[in-house]
Amino acid sequence: MPREFKLPDVGEGVAEGEIVSWLVEVGDPVSEDQPVAEVETDKAVVEVPSPVNGTVQELHYEAGTMVEVGEVIVTFALEGEDVAAAPAPTDDSDGKAAEAPADADAAETADAETAVESAPDTGGRTFAPPSVRTLARELDVDIGAVSGTGPSGRVTESDVRAAADGETVGEATEEKPAAEPAAEPGTTAETPPSSEPAADRDRTLAAPATRGVAKDLDVDIDQVPAVERRDGEAFVTADAVREYAEGQQAAQAADVATVAAGETGPREERIPYKGVRKTIGDKMEESKYTAPHVTHHDTVDVTELVAMRERLKPHAEAQDVRLTYMPFVMKAVVAALKEFPELNSSLDEEAGEVVRKHYYNIGVAVATEAGLMVPVVDDVDAKSVLEIAEEVNRLAEEARERTIALEDLQGSTFSITNFGAIGGEYATPIINYPEVGILGLGAIEERPVAEDGDVVARQTLPLSLSIDHRIVDGADAAAFTNDVMGYLETPSLLLLK
Amino acid sequence: MVVGDVATGTELAIVGAGSGGYVAAIRAGQLGLDVTLIEEDAIGGVCLNYGCIPSKALISATDVAHEAGDAEEMGVYADPEVQMDEMKTWKDGVVDQLTGGVENLCEANGVNVVEGRAEFVDENTLRVAHGGEGQGSESYEFEHAIVATGSRPIEVPGFEFDGETVLSSRDVLDLETIPDSVVVVGAGYIGMELSTVLAKLGTDVQVVEMLDDVLPGYESDLVRPVKRRAADLGIEFSFGEAAAGWAETDDGIVVTTETEEGEESTYEAEKAIVAVGRTPVTDTLNLEAIGLEPNDDGFLETDHEARTDVDHVFAIGDVAGEPMLAHKASAEGAVAAEVIAGEPSALDHQAIPAAVFTDPEIGTVGMTEAEAEDAGFEPAVGKFRFGANGRALTTGHPDGFVRIVADEDSGFVLGAQVVGPDASELIAELGLAVEMGATLEDVARTIHTHPTLSESVMEAAEHALGHAIHTLNR
Ligand SMILES: Cc1cc2nc3c(=O)[nH]c(=O)nc-3n(C[C@H](O)[C@H](O)[C@H](O)COP(=O)(O)OP(=O)(O)OC[C@H]3O[C@@H](n4cnc5c(N)ncnc54)[C@H](O)[C@@H]3O)c2cc1C
Repeated sequence: MPREFKLPDVGEGVAEGEIVSWLVEVGDPVSEDQPVAEVETDKAVVEVPSPVNGTVQELHYEAGTMVEVGEVIVTFALEGEDVAAAPAPTDDSDGKAAEAPADADAAETADAETAVESAPDTGGRTFAPPSVRTLARELDVDIGAVSGTGPSGRVTESDVRAAADGETVGEATEEKPAAEPAAEPGTTAETPPSSEPAADRDRTLAAPATRGVAKDLDVDIDQVPAVERRDGEAFVTADAVREYAEGQQAAQAADVATVAAGETGPREERIPYKGVRKTIGDKMEESKYTAPHVTHHDTVDVTELVAMRERLKPHAEAQDVRLTYMPFVMKAVVAALKEFPELNSSLDEEAGEVVRKHYYNIGVAVATEAGLMVPVVDDVDAKSVLEIAEEVNRLAEEARERTIALEDLQGSTFSITNFGAIGGEYATPIINYPEVGILGLGAIEERPVAEDGDVVARQTLPLSLSIDHRIVDGADAAAFTNDVMGYLETPSLLLLK
Repeated sequence: MVVGDVATGTELAIVGAGSGGYVAAIRAGQLGLDVTLIEEDAIGGVCLNYGCIPSKALISATDVAHEAGDAEEMGVYADPEVQMDEMKTWKDGVVDQLTGGVENLCEANGVNVVEGRAEFVDENTLRVAHGGEGQGSESYEFEHAIVATGSRPIEVPGFEFDGETVLSSRDVLDLETIPDSVVVVGAGYIGMELSTVLAKLGTDVQVVEMLDDVLPGYESDLVRPVKRRAADLGIEFSFGEAAAGWAETDDGIVVTTETEEGEESTYEAEKAIVAVGRTPVTDTLNLEAIGLEPNDDGFLETDHEARTDVDHVFAIGDVAGEPMLAHKASAEGAVAAEVIAGEPSALDHQAIPAAVFTDPEIGTVGMTEAEAEDAGFEPAVGKFRFGANGRALTTGHPDGFVRIVADEDSGFVLGAQVVGPDASELIAELGLAVEMGATLEDVARTIHTHPTLSESVMEAAEHALGHAIHTLNR
C-alpha cells in the first residue's frame, strides 16, 4: 500500500502553510526523517520530514501552493513497492479482463479488433471524433498519419483537410484570408499569429479544455483568431490560444523594450504578498495602528563598552563564542526594565488590564532573506553575557537558515532591533505588539562629541526607543533610556546586576 | 431450374432481419439501393423478439413490483401481486410495437421484406424456401449480399431445450407462470439477468457456474456489487461445477453437476434454465455454395468494411464475431450498407460499450486500467462512488461507482467502467468521450445537471485530475 503523507501540524496554532520548495522529486528514495519539503507558515519556514523509508510516488502540490494541515502532500511507495503503479483506488484490476473466456458474454475483444484497424504504430492511437474519421475516408487521408493540432494532439477537421491538400499539417486552410499574398513556401506558417488582428468576437466556440487554457494564459478567447468555423461560428483550438498568448507576450515584451531601451527585465513585477512577508506586514500594521508610537532618541558614549568588548573578545573566542555588543545591550535593557517595569508589560485590551511581566525575555530582530524575524532569548536576567551571546548567535543563525523552532519566536516581553548593523543613526522602530517598547540601535561609530568645550572623537551609539504611548509616557521613556545609557556608558555597572 | 422458380433481381439481399440485418436494410434503402430483406422467423431478430427487449421489459416490470414491495425504508408499504400472464401480454405488446415499427420503416424505405429461409445457390443467387412443406420457394439474383444470421443459444449435451423443464432464455421470457424454483446453468450476463428477474418474482434460484465467478470478463470490483445484491435476493451460487445431467423427479427435476475432480452435486428444482452462451448461426444458408467457411470460433471473418473473403458478400452482427451485442450488429449493418452504396464508411470506432442489466447494472466502454497499461499508456484513473452522489442516494440503491481511465499525459479518456443505478445509460456519455477523443478536463469541465447520477461521471474525471469535490483525491 502506498503511504499517503499529510501535512503535519507544524506548530502550535498553525492551520496552513505554503510549500516553499520540494526537497525531493518523484522517484527519489527517501529515508525516515529525511526532509522532503520546506513549508512556510505565518511564523517560520520549517522542514517537513518523511515519516517512512520508501520512494516518492507523487507530490500532490506544486511549490508555492498553500496547503492546509491534514491535506495529503506526498504519496510514498513503501520499500519493496513498485513506484510506477499508479495509486489507483482499486486493487484488483489485474488484467483479468484481458483473459476473457470465449464465452459469448464478453465484450472486451472489440477493442482489440478496432485497435488493429486504427493507428497500430504506438500504444497511442489516433484521437479524432467520428465525423473527422469519416471526412478522412472521404478525402482518402490516412488518419493515422495526420498529426493533430487539436487539444492534446487531437486530429481536427482542418488537420484532415490540410493533409488532403498536401499542406504542412497544422497550417490552417479554410480560414486563410483569400487576399493573403502567396508567399514563399513556409512563410505563412511562420508568421506569428500576433500580427493577425485580434478577433474581437461576441461568441466563440471552443472545447472546455481550450477555455481552460485561455483562462490559464489570461487570454480573452473572443480575441483569438479562429482556426475554423463550425456551424457558422468561429472555432478556436487550444493551440490557437497558446499561439495568441505567445504573440501577445512577444508584443508586450517588444513594447517594453522600446520604452526602456537598454533595460532587460520587465518594468514592473508582481510578487505575491504572502507568507512571512505578509505576516510581518500584518503585525506592523496592527502595531502601528493600535499602539500610538512615540520615539525617543538619544546618543550614548560607548567608548568604554567598545574597549571592554575588545578585551573580552579573545576570552569569548577561546570558548568558541563570537561576542557582539548585543548581549551587553540586552543586559543593560533588562537592568533598566527592572527599574521601569511599565516598559516590560503588555496591554490586554479585552480584559482592560496592563500585564506586567516579571520575567525578561528579549526579542532580537534579525533580518533574513524572507524578512524580519524576532527570535527570543528567554530569561536574560538569569544568563551571563557569554550565555546570551551564544544564544543570540544560535537563534540568529537558525532564523536565517529558516530552521528556527516556533517556540523560539514566541514569548518576548521587550524587543531590540539593531538597524545600525547596516549603518545609520536613528529610526522609528515599530513595537513588537502587544509589547509596549522596542529599542532600536544605530551604528556604533566614532562621532564628534563636545566635552568641556572641546570637540572630541568618541565611540557613540544612537538609540531610538519607541513606546506605546497608551501605557508609557514620554518622561518614562526618557528616564528608561537614561538608565540604559548609564549601563552602556559604564558597563562595569552591569557587574552589580 | 425448378418450375415456377423465377429469379428476382435485387441489388442487395440481406439474410436475417435482426438488429444487424434490418438496420442495414433501412440504411441501404435510404441510400437508394433496391433491397431484399429475408427473414425466416420474426422481424427484429433475437434482440427484439427473444432477447434484449423482452428481457428488459421483464426486468423493468419485476423491478416495479420488487421495488414497491421493498421500499419500507422510504416509508412505502405495498404488497404487489404479479400476474405473470398479464405481464407477458404487456411485454409481447412492447415487442409487437417495436417489430411492427421496424416493418413499417422497412416498407417506408422501399425495402422488400420476404419471409422464408434463405440459402445460397451460387455466388449470385439465393433461394428462399417458405415455411412449411410445399409452400414453395423463390430465388433472388443479387449483386451484393449481407449475411446477418445472428446466433442461437449453445446447448449443453444432455440438456436439450424442451420448453418444459429445460428452458432456453427465450423460453424463460415466455413463461406464463412463475416457477417455484429453478437451477440456472451459466452465470454470464444472460444467466444473471434472468436469475435476478426470477428471484425478484419469488423463485428460488440456484446458479451453477463452471468458472469461479459470475460475469466472466468483467473486473471483479464491478461484479462484486452485483453478486452482493444477488445474494441479498436469495440467489445461491455454486462455482466450479459443470452441469452433467438431469432426471425427472416427482415434483420437478434434479440436476447433477460435476467438478473438475469429478465430485458430483445435485440440485432439485422445478425447472432448469441453460444460458451458457450463444453460437453464431452459419449452418442455415449453405455458405459452402459461395465458398465461405467460418473460422475456428465459428464466426465469419470480416474486414473493416464488414466484407468477407468473398468480395461482394458482407457479414454483420453476431455471426461476424464478438462482441455479440445488438448495437454492434446495428453499427456494422449501417457500415456494410454504406460501403455497398459506395459511401466512405468503415468500422473504425474506438470502443463498443456493453451493458449488463443486472441489479445493479454494469456498463463498460473502452479500456480497463490493465488494458490501457498493456496498450502502452500510463493510465490516470479516477473513481467516484455513488454513495457520495446525491441522486444515487435518492434511488435507495447507491451501490457501485463510476471509474474513468485516461491517458495520464494527454488526458484522453480511454475507457470507463460503471456499476450502479442506470449504469447502462451513464456509459453512453463515456462512450462519446472515448469516441470524440475528449480529455478528462473536457469531461470535468462540462457542467452536469444536478442532482443526477451523471454528476458522478464528472466527479470521476475530476478525481482522475486530482481535484474531485465530493470525494478525497487520489
Ligand atoms: C436473452 C438475451 C438478452 C440479450 N440482451 C442484450 C442486451 O441487453 N443488449 C445487447 O446489445 N444485446 C443483447 N442480446 C444479444 C442480441 O440479441 C444480439 O447481439 C443481436 O440480436 C444480434 O443481432 P443480429 O442481427 O446479429 O442477429 P439476430 O438478432 O440473431 O438475428 C438473426 C436473424 O436471422 C434469421 N435467420 C438466421 N438464418 C436465416 C436464414 N438462413 N434465412 C433467413 N433468416 C435467417 C433469424 O431468424 C434471426 O431473426 C441478448 C440476447 C439474448 C438471447
